[in-house]
Amino acid sequence: MFLTRSEYDRGVNTFSPEGRLFQVEYAIEAIKLGSTAIGICTPEGVVLAVEKRITSTLMEPTTIEKIVEVDKHIVLFDQVEYAIEAIKLGSTAIGICTPEGVVLAVEKRITSTLMEPTTIEKIVEVDKHIGCAVSGLMADSRTMVDRARVECQNHWFVYNEKMTVESVAQAVSNLAIQFGDSDDDGSAMSRPFGVAILFAGVDAEKGPQLFHMDPSGTFVQFDAKAIGSGSEGAQQTLQEVYHKSMTLKEALNSALTILKQVMEEKLNSTNVEMVTVTPDRYFHMLSKEEVEEVIKELA
Amino acid sequence: MDLIERNNRFLPDYHTGPKQAYFSPYADNGGSIVAIAGEYYAIIGCDTRLSSGFSIYTREQSKLFPLSKTTILGCSGCWCDTLSLTRALVARLKMYLHEHHKQMSTPAVAQMLSTMLYYKRFFPYYISNILAGLDVDGKGCVYSYDPIGHCERGTYRAGGSAGALLQPLLDNQIGLKNMENVSKEPIPLERALAVLKDVFISAAERDIYTGDSIYINIITKDGIKEEKFVLRKD
Repeated sequence: MFLTRSEYDRGVNTFSPEGRLFQVEYAIEAIKLGSTAIGICTPEGVVLAVEKRITSTLMEPTTIEKIVEVDKHIVLFDQVEYAIEAIKLGSTAIGICTPEGVVLAVEKRITSTLMEPTTIEKIVEVDKHIGCAVSGLMADSRTMVDRARVECQNHWFVYNEKMTVESVAQAVSNLAIQFGDSDDDGSAMSRPFGVAILFAGVDAEKGPQLFHMDPSGTFVQFDAKAIGSGSEGAQQTLQEVYHKSMTLKEALNSALTILKQVMEEKLNSTNVEMVTVTPDRYFHMLSKEEVEEVIKELA
Repeated sequence: MDLIERNNRFLPDYHTGPKQAYFSPYADNGGSIVAIAGEYYAIIGCDTRLSSGFSIYTREQSKLFPLSKTTILGCSGCWCDTLSLTRALVARLKMYLHEHHKQMSTPAVAQMLSTMLYYKRFFPYYISNILAGLDVDGKGCVYSYDPIGHCERGTYRAGGSAGALLQPLLDNQIGLKNMENVSKEPIPLERALAVLKDVFISAAERDIYTGDSIYINIITKDGIKEEKFVLRKD
Protein backbone atom coordinates (compact mmCIF):
# COMPACT_ATOMS: atom_id res chain seq x y z
CA MET A 1 0.00 0.00 0.00
CA PHE A 2 2.92 2.35 0.55
CA LEU A 3 4.15 2.09 -3.01
CA THR A 4 1.81 4.94 -3.91
CA ARG A 5 3.55 7.16 -1.39
CA SER A 6 3.47 10.69 -2.80
CA GLU A 7 3.18 14.28 -1.72
CA TYR A 8 -0.28 13.41 -0.39
CA ASP A 9 1.13 11.76 2.71
CA ARG A 10 2.55 14.86 4.39
CA GLY A 11 -0.40 15.95 6.50
CA VAL A 12 -3.61 14.60 7.96
CA ASN A 13 -5.55 17.40 6.31
CA THR A 14 -4.83 16.33 2.72
CA PHE A 15 -6.73 13.61 0.85
CA SER A 16 -4.99 11.66 -1.89
CA PRO A 17 -6.76 11.62 -5.31
CA GLU A 18 -8.10 8.17 -4.41
CA GLY A 19 -9.63 9.67 -1.29
CA ARG A 20 -7.24 8.16 1.24
CA LEU A 21 -5.66 9.78 4.27
CA PHE A 22 -2.14 8.39 4.22
CA GLN A 23 -1.07 9.77 7.60
CA VAL A 24 -3.96 7.95 9.22
CA GLU A 25 -2.97 4.75 7.47
CA TYR A 26 0.65 5.21 8.54
CA ALA A 27 -0.51 5.79 12.09
CA ILE A 28 -2.37 2.47 11.97
CA GLU A 29 0.85 0.86 10.73
CA ALA A 30 2.74 2.53 13.62
CA ILE A 31 0.54 0.71 16.11
CA LYS A 32 1.64 -2.62 14.63
CA LEU A 33 5.18 -1.75 15.69
CA GLY A 34 4.04 -1.00 19.25
CA SER A 35 3.88 -3.40 22.18
CA THR A 36 0.87 -5.70 22.46
CA ALA A 37 -2.12 -4.69 24.52
CA ILE A 38 -5.17 -6.84 25.28
CA GLY A 39 -8.55 -5.82 26.60
CA ILE A 40 -11.31 -8.22 27.66
CA CYS A 41 -14.78 -7.14 28.68
CA THR A 42 -16.73 -9.37 31.05
CA PRO A 43 -20.04 -8.86 32.85
CA GLU A 44 -18.02 -8.20 36.03
CA GLY A 45 -15.72 -5.64 34.52
CA VAL A 46 -12.99 -5.02 32.00
CA VAL A 47 -9.44 -6.37 32.10
CA LEU A 48 -6.54 -4.58 30.45
CA ALA A 49 -3.10 -6.16 29.99
CA VAL A 50 -0.10 -4.70 28.22
CA GLU A 51 3.37 -5.92 27.38
CA LYS A 52 6.21 -3.67 28.53
CA ARG A 53 9.30 -3.70 26.35
CA ILE A 54 12.23 -3.23 28.64
CA THR A 55 14.98 -2.38 26.20
CA SER A 56 17.69 -1.87 28.80
CA THR A 57 18.36 -3.21 32.25
CA LEU A 58 19.15 0.35 33.32
CA MET A 59 15.58 1.32 32.59
CA GLU A 60 13.06 1.68 35.43
CA PRO A 61 10.15 -0.54 34.31
CA THR A 62 7.59 1.16 36.57
CA THR A 63 7.96 4.39 34.63
CA ILE A 64 6.70 2.79 31.43
CA GLU A 65 3.05 3.49 31.87
CA LYS A 66 1.04 1.88 29.14
CA ILE A 67 -2.23 1.73 31.02
CA VAL A 68 -3.37 5.11 32.29
CA GLU A 69 -6.68 6.49 33.45
CA VAL A 70 -6.99 9.13 30.75
CA ASP A 71 -4.15 10.27 28.59
CA LYS A 72 -3.19 11.52 25.17
CA HIS A 73 -1.92 9.00 22.66
CA ILE A 74 1.37 9.60 21.06
CA VAL A 75 1.24 9.07 17.33
CA LEU A 76 4.67 8.73 15.86
CA PHE A 77 5.05 10.74 12.70
CA ASP A 78 7.99 10.18 10.39
CA GLN A 79 9.11 13.62 11.50
CA VAL A 80 9.59 12.40 15.05
CA GLU A 81 11.86 9.64 13.87
CA TYR A 82 13.89 12.13 11.86
CA ALA A 83 14.12 14.31 14.97
CA ILE A 84 15.42 11.33 16.91
CA GLU A 85 18.09 11.02 14.21
CA ALA A 86 18.91 14.72 14.71
CA ILE A 87 19.96 14.00 18.27
CA LYS A 88 22.47 11.43 17.16
CA LEU A 89 24.34 14.38 15.64
CA GLY A 90 24.35 16.23 18.97
CA SER A 91 27.11 16.24 21.54
CA THR A 92 27.20 13.38 24.02
CA ALA A 93 25.60 13.73 27.44
CA ILE A 94 25.68 11.15 30.22
CA GLY A 95 23.55 10.83 33.33
CA ILE A 96 24.13 8.40 36.20
CA CYS A 97 21.79 7.98 39.16
CA THR A 98 23.26 6.72 42.46
CA PRO A 99 21.78 6.49 45.97
CA GLU A 100 23.91 9.53 46.92
CA GLY A 101 22.73 11.72 44.05
CA VAL A 102 22.70 12.11 40.29
CA VAL A 103 25.62 13.00 38.05
CA LEU A 104 25.32 14.74 34.68
CA ALA A 105 28.24 15.16 32.32
CA VAL A 106 28.34 16.58 28.78
CA GLU A 107 30.94 17.28 26.18
CA LYS A 108 31.19 20.79 24.72
CA ARG A 109 32.18 20.87 21.07
CA ILE A 110 34.60 23.71 20.72
CA THR A 111 34.65 24.18 16.97
CA SER A 112 36.96 27.17 16.97
CA THR A 113 39.74 28.38 19.19
CA LEU A 114 38.18 31.83 18.98
CA MET A 115 35.04 30.53 20.65
CA GLU A 116 34.36 31.30 24.32
CA PRO A 117 33.69 27.84 25.86
CA THR A 118 31.82 29.11 28.94
CA THR A 119 28.96 30.40 26.76
CA ILE A 120 28.02 26.88 25.69
CA GLU A 121 25.56 25.84 28.36
CA LYS A 122 24.50 22.24 27.98
CA ILE A 123 23.56 21.56 31.59
CA VAL A 124 21.18 24.03 33.17
CA GLU A 125 19.39 24.44 36.46
CA VAL A 126 15.61 24.02 36.25
CA ASP A 127 14.92 24.51 39.93
CA LYS A 128 17.11 24.25 43.03
CA HIS A 129 16.60 20.47 43.12
CA ILE A 130 16.47 19.67 39.39
CA GLY A 131 19.00 20.06 36.60
CA CYS A 132 18.93 18.94 33.00
CA ALA A 133 21.42 18.06 30.30
CA VAL A 134 20.44 18.52 26.68
CA SER A 135 21.68 17.22 23.36
CA GLY A 136 20.55 18.23 19.89
CA LEU A 137 19.36 21.62 18.71
CA MET A 138 20.31 24.02 21.51
CA ALA A 139 17.84 26.68 20.39
CA ASP A 140 14.96 24.22 20.71
CA SER A 141 16.15 23.17 24.14
CA ARG A 142 15.77 26.75 25.41
CA THR A 143 12.02 26.58 24.86
CA MET A 144 11.77 23.29 26.70
CA VAL A 145 13.99 24.33 29.61
CA ASP A 146 11.94 27.51 29.89
CA ARG A 147 8.76 25.45 30.16
CA ALA A 148 10.34 23.22 32.81
CA ARG A 149 11.34 26.27 34.86
CA VAL A 150 7.93 27.90 34.57
CA GLU A 151 6.19 24.68 35.58
CA CYS A 152 8.46 24.29 38.64
CA GLN A 153 7.81 27.84 39.82
CA ASN A 154 4.10 27.51 39.15
CA HIS A 155 4.02 24.29 41.18
CA TRP A 156 5.76 26.03 44.04
CA PHE A 157 3.38 29.01 43.78
CA VAL A 158 0.24 26.89 43.85
CA TYR A 159 1.25 24.04 46.16
CA ASN A 160 4.18 25.45 48.16
CA GLU A 161 6.23 22.33 47.53
CA LYS A 162 9.00 21.15 45.20
CA MET A 163 7.85 19.63 41.94
CA THR A 164 8.86 15.99 41.49
CA VAL A 165 11.30 15.08 38.72
CA GLU A 166 8.71 12.88 37.02
CA SER A 167 6.17 15.70 36.99
CA VAL A 168 8.68 18.06 35.38
CA ALA A 169 9.39 15.45 32.70
CA GLN A 170 5.63 15.06 32.19
CA ALA A 171 5.18 18.82 31.84
CA VAL A 172 7.93 19.14 29.26
CA SER A 173 6.61 16.07 27.45
CA ASN A 174 3.23 17.81 27.10
CA LEU A 175 5.04 20.62 25.31
CA ALA A 176 7.03 18.22 23.14
CA ILE A 177 3.96 16.49 21.67
CA GLN A 178 2.13 19.71 20.87
CA PHE A 179 3.83 20.10 17.52
CA GLY A 180 1.50 20.14 14.54
CA ASP A 181 -1.71 20.95 16.41
CA SER A 182 -2.39 24.65 16.40
CA ASP A 183 -5.33 26.06 18.30
CA ASP A 184 -6.95 29.43 19.01
CA ASP A 185 -3.96 30.90 20.78
CA GLY A 186 -1.62 30.93 17.81
CA SER A 187 0.01 28.18 15.83
CA ALA A 188 2.09 25.53 17.54
CA MET A 189 5.53 24.25 16.54
CA SER A 190 5.35 22.89 13.01
CA ARG A 191 7.96 20.19 13.69
CA PRO A 192 9.05 18.13 16.68
CA PHE A 193 11.74 19.56 18.94
CA GLY A 194 15.16 18.23 17.92
CA VAL A 195 16.24 17.70 21.51
CA ALA A 196 16.82 14.83 23.89
CA ILE A 197 16.88 15.75 27.58
CA LEU A 198 18.20 14.09 30.73
CA PHE A 199 16.41 15.33 33.83
CA ALA A 200 18.35 14.81 37.06
CA GLY A 201 16.84 15.67 40.39
CA VAL A 202 16.03 14.77 43.95
CA ASP A 203 12.69 14.85 45.72
CA ALA A 204 11.51 14.13 49.23
CA GLU A 205 9.68 10.90 48.45
CA LYS A 206 11.78 9.11 45.87
CA GLY A 207 15.28 10.55 46.38
CA PRO A 208 17.67 10.90 43.43
CA GLN A 209 16.17 10.18 40.02
CA LEU A 210 17.16 10.36 36.36
CA PHE A 211 14.69 10.68 33.48
CA HIS A 212 15.34 10.58 29.75
CA MET A 213 13.06 12.21 27.20
CA ASP A 214 13.23 11.97 23.40
CA PRO A 215 11.67 14.24 20.70
CA SER A 216 8.41 12.25 20.68
CA GLY A 217 7.87 13.34 24.27
CA THR A 218 8.28 9.80 25.60
CA PHE A 219 10.02 9.83 28.96
CA VAL A 220 11.40 6.91 30.94
CA GLN A 221 13.31 6.66 34.20
CA PHE A 222 16.86 5.32 33.96
CA ASP A 223 19.66 4.38 36.35
CA ALA A 224 22.17 5.53 33.75
CA LYS A 225 21.65 6.93 30.28
CA ALA A 226 23.69 8.43 27.45
CA ILE A 227 22.36 10.64 24.65
CA GLY A 228 23.94 12.32 21.62
CA SER A 229 26.41 11.22 18.96
CA GLY A 230 28.45 8.92 21.21
CA SER A 231 25.41 7.49 22.98
CA GLU A 232 25.52 3.98 21.56
CA GLY A 233 29.05 3.21 22.73
CA ALA A 234 28.57 5.13 25.94
CA GLN A 235 25.35 3.28 26.80
CA GLN A 236 27.13 -0.04 26.31
CA THR A 237 29.91 0.96 28.70
CA LEU A 238 27.39 2.29 31.22
CA GLN A 239 25.69 -1.09 31.14
CA GLU A 240 28.98 -2.72 32.13
CA VAL A 241 30.13 -0.32 34.85
CA TYR A 242 26.84 0.57 36.52
CA HIS A 243 25.83 -1.03 39.79
CA LYS A 244 23.09 -0.09 42.24
CA SER A 245 25.39 0.86 45.12
CA MET A 246 27.58 3.24 43.15
CA THR A 247 28.91 6.23 45.07
CA LEU A 248 28.69 9.76 43.72
CA LYS A 249 32.46 9.83 43.29
CA GLU A 250 32.47 6.59 41.33
CA ALA A 251 29.70 7.96 39.14
CA LEU A 252 31.66 11.16 38.46
CA ASN A 253 34.71 9.08 37.50
CA SER A 254 32.73 6.68 35.28
CA ALA A 255 30.88 9.51 33.53
CA LEU A 256 34.12 11.26 32.69
CA THR A 257 35.91 8.04 31.67
CA ILE A 258 33.11 7.22 29.24
CA LEU A 259 33.02 10.76 27.86
CA LYS A 260 36.77 10.57 27.32
CA GLN A 261 36.31 7.38 25.29
CA VAL A 262 33.58 8.72 23.01
CA MET A 263 34.80 12.29 22.52
CA GLU A 264 36.61 13.17 19.33
CA GLU A 265 38.68 15.91 20.93
CA LYS A 266 40.94 15.36 23.92
CA LEU A 267 39.01 15.80 27.13
CA ASN A 268 39.99 18.71 29.41
CA SER A 269 38.38 20.94 31.99
CA THR A 270 37.09 23.44 29.42
CA ASN A 271 35.35 21.08 27.04
CA VAL A 272 33.25 19.19 29.60
CA GLU A 273 30.52 20.35 31.91
CA MET A 274 29.59 18.40 35.04
CA VAL A 275 26.77 18.74 37.54
CA THR A 276 25.74 16.83 40.63
CA VAL A 277 22.26 16.90 42.13
CA THR A 278 22.30 15.60 45.69
CA PRO A 279 19.79 15.58 48.57
CA ASP A 280 21.84 17.97 50.72
CA ARG A 281 23.46 20.26 48.14
CA TYR A 282 20.83 20.07 45.36
CA PHE A 283 22.02 21.43 41.98
CA HIS A 284 25.77 21.97 41.94
CA MET A 285 27.84 22.69 38.86
CA LEU A 286 31.44 21.56 39.21
CA SER A 287 33.93 24.40 38.93
CA LYS A 288 36.90 24.21 36.59
CA GLU A 289 39.11 23.18 39.54
CA GLU A 290 36.71 20.46 40.65
CA VAL A 291 36.56 19.04 37.12
CA GLU A 292 40.35 19.08 36.91
CA GLU A 293 40.48 17.10 40.15
CA VAL A 294 38.25 14.39 38.68
CA ILE A 295 40.34 14.33 35.49
CA LYS A 296 43.50 13.94 37.55
CA GLU A 297 42.06 10.86 39.24
CA LEU A 298 41.33 9.27 35.86
CA ALA A 299 44.93 9.48 34.71
CA MET B 1 -43.13 61.38 23.27
CA ASP B 2 -46.17 61.20 25.53
CA LEU B 3 -46.28 64.17 27.83
CA ILE B 4 -48.52 64.52 30.83
CA GLU B 5 -49.66 67.85 32.07
CA ARG B 6 -48.95 68.21 35.75
CA ASN B 7 -48.98 71.46 37.70
CA ASN B 8 -49.15 73.30 34.40
CA ARG B 9 -45.84 71.71 33.32
CA PHE B 10 -45.36 69.06 30.73
CA LEU B 11 -43.41 66.05 32.00
CA PRO B 12 -42.40 62.78 30.30
CA ASP B 13 -44.48 59.72 31.33
CA TYR B 14 -41.42 57.73 32.46
CA HIS B 15 -39.11 58.02 35.44
CA THR B 16 -36.24 60.42 34.91
CA GLY B 17 -34.68 60.78 38.36
CA PRO B 18 -31.53 59.01 39.57
CA LYS B 19 -31.97 55.28 39.97
CA GLN B 20 -29.90 52.84 42.00
CA ALA B 21 -29.59 49.25 40.93
CA TYR B 22 -29.01 46.56 43.54
CA PHE B 23 -26.98 43.39 43.05
CA SER B 24 -26.65 41.13 46.05
CA PRO B 25 -25.16 37.84 44.98
CA TYR B 26 -24.31 36.69 48.50
CA ALA B 27 -26.27 34.98 51.26
CA ASP B 28 -25.22 34.31 54.83
CA ASN B 29 -26.30 30.81 55.74
CA GLY B 30 -24.55 30.80 59.11
CA GLY B 31 -22.79 27.87 60.72
CA SER B 32 -19.62 27.50 62.77
CA ILE B 33 -16.41 25.49 62.42
CA VAL B 34 -13.86 24.67 65.12
CA ALA B 35 -10.60 22.79 64.60
CA ILE B 36 -7.87 21.74 67.03
CA ALA B 37 -4.57 20.07 66.13
CA GLY B 38 -2.43 17.93 68.44
CA GLU B 39 0.89 16.12 68.14
CA TYR B 40 -0.41 13.23 66.05
CA TYR B 41 -4.03 14.12 65.33
CA ALA B 42 -6.31 16.89 64.17
CA ILE B 43 -9.99 17.26 64.96
CA ILE B 44 -12.49 19.45 63.19
CA GLY B 45 -16.13 20.01 64.11
CA CYS B 46 -19.08 21.85 62.58
CA ASP B 47 -22.67 22.51 63.61
CA THR B 48 -25.39 21.13 61.35
CA ARG B 49 -27.77 24.10 61.09
CA LEU B 50 -28.22 25.76 57.72
CA SER B 51 -30.23 28.94 57.99
CA SER B 52 -31.20 32.21 56.38
CA GLY B 53 -32.17 35.00 58.73
CA PHE B 54 -34.83 33.70 61.12
CA SER B 55 -35.67 30.62 59.08
CA ILE B 56 -33.91 27.29 59.12
CA TYR B 57 -33.30 25.44 55.85
CA THR B 58 -32.16 22.20 57.49
CA ARG B 59 -30.94 20.92 60.84
CA GLU B 60 -28.71 18.19 59.37
CA GLN B 61 -26.22 19.71 57.02
CA SER B 62 -22.59 18.75 57.54
CA LYS B 63 -20.15 21.52 56.68
CA LEU B 64 -17.12 19.24 56.66
CA PHE B 65 -15.60 18.07 53.37
CA PRO B 66 -13.06 15.24 53.47
CA LEU B 67 -10.61 16.03 50.66
CA SER B 68 -8.20 13.15 51.29
CA LYS B 69 -7.37 10.56 53.94
CA THR B 70 -5.44 13.20 55.86
CA THR B 71 -7.21 16.46 55.00
CA ILE B 72 -10.64 17.85 55.86
CA LEU B 73 -12.05 21.27 54.98
CA GLY B 74 -14.71 23.01 57.05
CA CYS B 75 -16.74 25.76 55.35
CA SER B 76 -19.36 28.16 56.65
CA GLY B 77 -20.89 31.31 55.21
CA CYS B 78 -22.56 31.45 51.82
CA TRP B 79 -23.66 27.87 51.18
CA CYS B 80 -23.81 28.13 47.38
CA ASP B 81 -20.22 29.42 47.34
CA THR B 82 -19.24 26.51 49.60
CA LEU B 83 -20.75 24.00 47.17
CA SER B 84 -18.95 25.58 44.24
CA LEU B 85 -15.57 25.89 45.97
CA THR B 86 -15.55 22.37 47.41
CA ARG B 87 -16.44 20.82 44.04
CA ALA B 88 -13.64 22.79 42.38
CA LEU B 89 -11.28 21.61 45.14
CA VAL B 90 -12.21 17.95 44.75
CA ALA B 91 -11.62 18.26 41.00
CA ARG B 92 -8.24 19.93 41.53
CA LEU B 93 -7.20 17.19 43.96
CA LYS B 94 -8.08 14.52 41.42
CA MET B 95 -6.15 16.35 38.70
CA TYR B 96 -3.13 16.55 41.02
CA LEU B 97 -3.36 12.82 41.76
CA HIS B 98 -3.35 12.01 38.05
CA GLU B 99 -0.65 14.51 37.14
CA HIS B 100 1.77 13.79 39.95
CA HIS B 101 0.88 10.19 40.91
CA LYS B 102 0.51 10.99 44.62
CA GLN B 103 -2.04 12.25 47.10
CA MET B 104 -1.82 15.94 47.83
CA SER B 105 -0.40 16.72 51.28
CA THR B 106 -2.32 18.98 53.68
CA PRO B 107 0.20 21.87 53.35
CA ALA B 108 -0.11 21.62 49.54
CA VAL B 109 -3.92 21.73 49.74
CA ALA B 110 -3.58 24.68 52.11
CA GLN B 111 -1.47 26.66 49.64
CA MET B 112 -3.69 25.73 46.71
CA LEU B 113 -6.81 26.85 48.58
CA SER B 114 -5.12 30.18 49.27
CA THR B 115 -4.37 30.74 45.58
CA MET B 116 -7.87 29.61 44.57
CA LEU B 117 -9.44 32.12 46.96
CA TYR B 118 -7.13 34.93 45.87
CA TYR B 119 -7.90 34.15 42.25
CA LYS B 120 -11.37 35.50 43.03
CA ARG B 121 -9.97 38.57 44.77
CA PHE B 122 -12.59 40.91 43.29
CA PHE B 123 -15.63 38.63 43.51
CA PRO B 124 -14.71 36.47 46.48
CA TYR B 125 -16.19 33.24 47.74
CA TYR B 126 -18.04 34.39 50.86
CA ILE B 127 -16.83 31.52 53.01
CA SER B 128 -14.97 31.15 56.28
CA ASN B 129 -12.63 28.22 55.59
CA ILE B 130 -10.76 26.10 58.10
CA LEU B 131 -8.56 23.26 56.90
CA ALA B 132 -7.48 20.53 59.31
CA GLY B 133 -5.27 17.53 58.74
CA LEU B 134 -1.89 15.90 59.14
CA ASP B 135 1.19 17.36 57.49
CA VAL B 136 3.92 15.36 55.71
CA ASP B 137 5.53 14.48 59.05
CA GLY B 138 2.22 13.21 60.47
CA LYS B 139 1.80 16.20 62.80
CA GLY B 140 -1.63 17.76 63.24
CA CYS B 141 -2.18 21.14 61.60
CA VAL B 142 -4.95 23.69 61.23
CA TYR B 143 -5.02 26.33 58.48
CA SER B 144 -7.45 29.24 58.63
CA TYR B 145 -8.39 31.67 55.86
CA ASP B 146 -10.10 34.95 55.20
CA PRO B 147 -12.43 35.06 52.17
CA ILE B 148 -9.71 36.37 49.81
CA GLY B 149 -7.00 33.85 50.59
CA HIS B 150 -4.98 35.02 53.57
CA CYS B 151 -3.74 31.79 55.12
CA GLU B 152 -2.27 31.06 58.52
CA ARG B 153 -1.13 27.79 60.05
CA GLY B 154 -1.90 27.25 63.71
CA THR B 155 -3.04 24.62 66.18
CA TYR B 156 -6.59 25.76 66.91
CA ARG B 157 -9.17 28.01 65.27
CA ALA B 158 -12.86 28.88 65.38
CA GLY B 159 -14.62 30.28 62.34
CA GLY B 160 -18.06 31.09 60.98
CA SER B 161 -20.99 32.84 62.66
CA ALA B 162 -19.78 32.03 66.18
CA GLY B 163 -16.09 32.41 65.31
CA ALA B 164 -15.64 35.69 67.18
CA LEU B 165 -17.50 34.20 70.14
CA LEU B 166 -15.43 31.02 70.37
CA GLN B 167 -11.89 32.07 69.44
CA PRO B 168 -11.24 33.83 72.80
CA LEU B 169 -12.53 30.72 74.56
CA LEU B 170 -10.04 28.57 72.65
CA ASP B 171 -7.27 31.11 73.30
CA ASN B 172 -7.92 30.58 76.99
CA GLN B 173 -8.58 26.82 77.07
CA ILE B 174 -6.21 25.56 74.36
CA GLY B 175 -3.77 28.40 73.77
CA LEU B 176 -3.42 29.14 77.51
CA LYS B 177 -2.89 32.82 76.61
CA ASN B 178 -1.99 35.48 79.16
CA MET B 179 -1.47 33.07 82.01
CA GLU B 180 1.55 32.65 84.20
CA ASN B 181 3.06 29.37 85.38
CA VAL B 182 1.28 27.17 82.86
CA SER B 183 3.00 24.31 81.08
CA LYS B 184 2.32 24.42 77.36
CA GLU B 185 2.28 20.72 76.67
CA PRO B 186 0.59 19.19 73.65
CA ILE B 187 -3.13 18.70 74.22
CA PRO B 188 -4.30 15.08 74.46
CA LEU B 189 -7.06 14.02 72.05
CA GLU B 190 -9.63 13.44 74.84
CA ARG B 191 -9.17 16.98 76.17
CA ALA B 192 -9.42 18.48 72.65
CA LEU B 193 -12.67 16.58 72.04
CA ALA B 194 -14.14 17.74 75.36
CA VAL B 195 -13.24 21.38 74.66
CA LEU B 196 -14.64 21.14 71.13
CA LYS B 197 -18.01 19.90 72.42
CA ASP B 198 -18.05 22.50 75.21
CA VAL B 199 -17.43 25.43 72.87
CA PHE B 200 -20.25 24.35 70.54
CA ILE B 201 -22.60 24.05 73.52
CA SER B 202 -21.64 27.62 74.43
CA ALA B 203 -22.14 28.84 70.85
CA ALA B 204 -25.59 27.23 70.62
CA GLU B 205 -26.53 29.12 73.78
CA ARG B 206 -25.97 32.60 72.28
CA ASP B 207 -25.72 32.33 68.47
CA ILE B 208 -28.97 31.62 66.60
CA TYR B 209 -27.08 30.61 63.46
CA THR B 210 -25.27 27.79 65.24
CA GLY B 211 -27.14 24.83 66.67
CA ASP B 212 -29.04 21.53 66.32
CA SER B 213 -26.07 19.15 66.49
CA ILE B 214 -22.38 18.87 65.66
CA TYR B 215 -20.34 16.55 63.50
CA ILE B 216 -16.77 15.88 64.59
CA ASN B 217 -14.09 14.32 62.40
CA ILE B 218 -10.96 12.93 64.03
CA ILE B 219 -7.98 12.62 61.70
CA THR B 220 -5.12 10.31 62.69
CA LYS B 221 -2.63 8.24 60.70
CA ASP B 222 -5.12 5.37 60.90
CA GLY B 223 -7.80 7.34 59.02
CA ILE B 224 -10.80 9.52 59.76
CA LYS B 225 -13.31 8.76 62.52
CA GLU B 226 -16.69 10.47 62.63
CA GLU B 227 -18.73 11.42 65.66
CA LYS B 228 -22.08 13.13 66.14
CA PHE B 229 -23.17 15.10 69.18
CA VAL B 230 -26.62 16.63 69.77
CA LEU B 231 -26.98 20.23 70.96
CA ARG B 232 -29.91 21.88 72.82
CA LYS B 233 -33.30 21.40 71.14
CA ASP B 234 -34.21 24.93 70.08
